[in-house]
Amino acid sequence: MADLKGMTGKIARVDLTSGTVTVIEPEEAVYKKFLGGAALGTYYLLKEGIADPKVDPLGPDNMFQIMVGPITGVGPNNRSVTVTKSAYNFIGISTAGGQTPSELKYAGWDGIQVVGKASKPVYIAIMDDKVEIRDAGHVWGKGAEESEDILRMEVNSEVETREAMLRDADLTEQWAAMRPPKRLGTGHKRLAKVWVIGPGGENQVWFASVMTEAGRSHGRYGTGAIMGSKNLKAIVVRGTKGHPLADKKKYLELVHAIQADELKNYSRKKYGTASAGTRTSYTENAFPIRNWQWGVWSDPHMLGISGPFMDTASFVRKQACAGCTMNCLFPVQITSEDPMMDGHASDMPDWEALGMVGGNLGYFEMEGSTPSDPFTGTLEDHAEHLAKLQYTTYIHDDAGIDFIEGGALLAMLMELRQRDLITVDDVDGIDIKWGDVHAVDEVIKKLVAREGIGDVYAKGVWETAKYYADAKGKPEILKYAQIGHRYAQPAHGVRTGADKDAIEYVTVSRPCEHTGGGGAGFIKGDLAAGIAGQNTKTAGSDSMVVCSFSAGNFAGKYVDILKAATGWTDFADEDLVKVGARQYAMARLFDIHTQQLKDPKTEWDMLVTDRWFDDPMPNGWAKGKVAYEGNKDKLFNETLPAYWKERGWTEDKGVPTLDTLKALGIDDVAGPIAQQHL
Amino acid sequence: MTRVERRDKAPEPKPEEPKTGGGGISRKEFLEMTGTGIAGLVIGGVVGREVFPKAAAPEAAATPEAAAPAAGGEEAAAESPYKAGYSIVFDPYQCTGCMACAVACSEKYSLEVFPEQTANMVNLEFSRIRPVRFSYVDVVNVCFDCKLDELEEGTDLAPCQAVCPEEAIQTIPEGEGKAGYYGMGYKYVDREKCLGADKCWRCSEICEDQFGSGISFDPIEKKAQVCGRCGGDPECVKACPEPLALQWVPASINGRFFAHTPGDYAKLLYRKMFGQRRTL
Repeated sequence: MADLKGMTGKIARVDLTSGTVTVIEPEEAVYKKFLGGAALGTYYLLKEGIADPKVDPLGPDNMFQIMVGPITGVGPNNRSVTVTKSAYNFIGISTAGGQTPSELKYAGWDGIQVVGKASKPVYIAIMDDKVEIRDAGHVWGKGAEESEDILRMEVNSEVETREAMLRDADLTEQWAAMRPPKRLGTGHKRLAKVWVIGPGGENQVWFASVMTEAGRSHGRYGTGAIMGSKNLKAIVVRGTKGHPLADKKKYLELVHAIQADELKNYSRKKYGTASAGTRTSYTENAFPIRNWQWGVWSDPHMLGISGPFMDTASFVRKQACAGCTMNCLFPVQITSEDPMMDGHASDMPDWEALGMVGGNLGYFEMEGSTPSDPFTGTLEDHAEHLAKLQYTTYIHDDAGIDFIEGGALLAMLMELRQRDLITVDDVDGIDIKWGDVHAVDEVIKKLVAREGIGDVYAKGVWETAKYYADAKGKPEILKYAQIGHRYAQPAHGVRTGADKDAIEYVTVSRPCEHTGGGGAGFIKGDLAAGIAGQNTKTAGSDSMVVCSFSAGNFAGKYVDILKAATGWTDFADEDLVKVGARQYAMARLFDIHTQQLKDPKTEWDMLVTDRWFDDPMPNGWAKGKVAYEGNKDKLFNETLPAYWKERGWTEDKGVPTLDTLKALGIDDVAGPIAQQHL
Repeated sequence: MTRVERRDKAPEPKPEEPKTGGGGISRKEFLEMTGTGIAGLVIGGVVGREVFPKAAAPEAAATPEAAAPAAGGEEAAAESPYKAGYSIVFDPYQCTGCMACAVACSEKYSLEVFPEQTANMVNLEFSRIRPVRFSYVDVVNVCFDCKLDELEEGTDLAPCQAVCPEEAIQTIPEGEGKAGYYGMGYKYVDREKCLGADKCWRCSEICEDQFGSGISFDPIEKKAQVCGRCGGDPECVKACPEPLALQWVPASINGRFFAHTPGDYAKLLYRKMFGQRRTL
């Protein structure tokens, strides 16, 4: 193995069936092609045959990966990426921050790959080179936060845990008499970091998250369900080996420059992503309100979603990922007159929660009024609405499930009840309606436990819509599942064209993902710019791996910092773009192959909610607007083929051609699959 | 929406008039120069088995200060960046747990002690200060510099010092030691005397048993590490990006008062910040 810098050159593959650990040592050329994170993980999914339709996502043959990148460690911010076949049978890639990613690098690993299935609940304990599979019976069934508190104490480095050696002779007389040691030895350091699943992941809820630090989640695509399917409760890491760097001086200079720049981002530093809620709503009219029936409130005095309001009402402190000076997460304590909610610790909300389990569930309007009406409540009502939103965030986080998919599901149920398409009995007697946090609490408990109708809900919004459409004989129900590629649309609307263009949700390499990075290019109608944005995002943010919120702070420095870390002096800007192009091509082939799509466009790409095209915006400056002026045909038969062509994929199916794969240098791993679908 | 015009640059400045006296050196520039000057100096004394040559204290007279008497003579006397009798305190509301302090500390001491082994490496195990992350709570774990009362405790040494069988943990008095590393009344571990964690961990044990968790061991030779406040000018405080999160302040009397293990600290913070009782 070459003496790598930036990376450690080692990936641990843990087989839970046999209880063995093998060390994978990728060639340096592999790192140069895929860096780490999303691209490297996608490469291994293809290489190990996980794209094979016979590999059941929730079966032992699927591979769960958690990957970091060459910048992870002492980067200006640090994130990890879960990569696996999602329970939905498409590619599942999700990122999260915190301090755990750096710790994995310090332990000497670029990633963990888990295959097989343990016979009973276990967790993986990593102490530098030592990777152990340990019993997790004592935390199975516990919430994500409590499990993490317990597991953090169980892994220490060798020098941090010692038997008692002090004797009375070591002490002064006074101490020996009054303060004799408890003879417990050492072991009070708490430096281990934890990735963990909650009960949602244990019960294989399709949209279960992999959590860390209570409020940070690899939230999308249900990668936590894959951990649960393997009886894997957690991965606990403690590392003492540091981050190897080719040119440390230059690297730290760049880190400090980026950190200094991040410090200037007052809005993020003070309010986090919550600061963007008002922009998405009032400026872009692209906010999810009541399952996207509205995109903005007519009354601009909607205090409850503004950063300063939420900060003043509830933010307790601020918390950063390792290395980051932007600290966009704000722990809160919920204050409410409702004892169910009062007193819980939660976080923020962030932008997606604000939309998906806030506006989307009708939490912000007074009972009996709609978003088109004036707000008639008081300041206290605003604060109670905020509490509902924070509580709903909390129950999702602690159960370890995604509040984007969860929010879309809850909002759909509410709209189906609003339109009398389903009855109270169809929701197992729960009278779910707009703004009702108690009904939400009951539904979430049911779906996490997979009791009764909760077993259907646990498969997400699209499967639930299909179930009701069949059971009630009402195909129109499908329209109220706000999805793209069978998966919930996040809190960015496409009808006004100000936030996102619909093509971005259709083409992003993970189904309906919101941070794809092509937005500006696509909104201007510039496909090449959009593709470049997507490539840079998936390579730079998701494979290096750094935070997309700091993309502006990294601008112009991605390749410099990568070179300082790795020592790859010949690595150029276009190489970074190529990493992204490789990830996109491989992810596309994965999705086509695992679902065995004959006609990907109609079977897969066109699975988006008709609301984008059919339901005009009811109010606001964008009143009357729909995506693509209501012309679905234009999106899928003009723009999409043009996009595919620009990528070097076939115009009829969007399959990367063999020439394209060869030019990207991935014909060996992706060619055989492409050949079956061209 | 109303657009806010933002202007980052000040209006074009007038050409600056040359300063009279003082050789054209501003007060700020002067401070920077003396800071780097002293950091390079070795102030005389014996530390462990290392002998440092005496450095003439009045050497400062050769600095521009002589040519540029500062406005107030009293202030000029307090120019040294190295402060005695100070302590590091953290504010759990302001600290974000970003690790900047730990990176700065580990960089300083890994390069000092193991320059070759860490030339291509950043390793936080060399750090004497570590933020410890609990969910929603961060605790900055560092030596709290216990100052015990001899009448009460039978010793005025810090607990780690008191139990060390080799006298490896020392307090280097003001005016001795290696400027920028130890001295000024702060702690120092004589690495040659320290037995290493394979043979002895009394310092760490007494600290965790009754005080905090201020002792760590380096990952190469496993010798004890304890915060010596960088000899009175701590790098961590300078590296901290959050105003007031880490402060370098004149020490209050500190017997056992500041000492809590990270878990205990976090438990108390859960009570204070979130009104919750937790087992950690």
